[in-house]
Amino acid sequence: MSTSRQFSESRAIPTRTVLINDTTQLPHDYCTTPGGTLFSTTPGGTRIIYDRKFLLDRRNSPIAQTAPAHLPVIPGVTSQNVLRENKKNEANNHINKHDGKPITDDAQFEMDI
Amino acid sequence: MNQLERPKDEEDQEETDCHHDNSDGTNNNNNNNRRKTVCPGAGEHPLQYNYTFWYSRRTPSRPASSQSYEQNIRQIGSVASVEQFWRFYSHLVRPGDLSGHSDFHLFKEGIKPMWEDESNRSGGKWIIRLRKGLASRFWENIILAMLGEQFMVGEEICGAVVSIRFQEDILSIWNRTSNDQTTTSRIRDTLRRVLNLPTNSIMEYKTHTDSLRDNSSFRNTKISL
Repeated sequence: MSTSRQFSESRAIPTRTVLINDTTQLPHDYCTTPGGTLFSTTPGGTRIIYDRKFLLDRRNSPIAQTAPAHLPVIPGVTSQNVLRENKKNEANNHINKHDGKPITDDAQFEMDI
Repeated sequence: MNQLERPKDEEDQEETDCHHDNSDGTNNNNNNNRRKTVCPGAGEHPLQYNYTFWYSRRTPSRPASSQSYEQNIRQIGSVASVEQFWRFYSHLVRPGDLSGHSDFHLFKEGIKPMWEDESNRSGGKWIIRLRKGLASRFWENIILAMLGEQFMVGEEICGAVVSIRFQEDILSIWNRTSNDQTTTSRIRDTLRRVLNLPTNSIMEYKTHTDSLRDNSSFRNTKISL
């Protein structure tokens, strides 16, 4: 492309060795491609790809908390209130905690003085 | 009120070319032919395609005809971003909690969830039968995969359906070209992966032409092991 040539300095690709003792220490995305699709490139050109985790992480965005305008009212199908997933799990958490506090509150109030 | 001066459209605040700031879904009256474009709001994560939620319900005793099917199915709204998707999805009952003979459909904007739609004419669908209790979780996983473009078959995916029936529930994913083996194989393999299906799961494929011929969605399918 250009007629003048410059040699850039060459370096080895930086790597990092991490010692793990157990398979539970593997990162959750070990051995997957970015985007989670098994393909390293996108056949047919660039596409907007989201993996499941990314989509789930957006679930609690503020926009999602209010019902869409003009949501049709179909009893038994649509709801004006946010329908939480894992209703059963929430109920179980309440039963298992003896002091009745939800688990997240404990994490907030732990302080080292 | 002088009706001549106003556009027929009663939703004044929504424009056809996406300049509005709010990120609401489209209007959703029962007129299934009207189409509006939604677009992602500021700061939202756009989807590769816009999608429309539909709902249908039928009393099983009534025989199905193409005309009655089109009248029984209604749009709920359209989404153009991840956040808009959650907004609708969080305000819909989970499929496992639907009563009677009901379906949710999530199709690309502009494609009706009907065999006769132009985009579906040469197409078909994979179906997976689920015992009761699994529909909600599997529906969520299949639509997240579809929205996230995990199938990698270009434009082929048309939409997904979850069908609540008497003793089993059925998940379907529709694609444009039923005789494109590469596409249908890739869809099948992606389904196995994203739904974590056991290796000996039966999957069935049925072309929409066949469905039209025997007027049935789920009978006389081709079994694939």
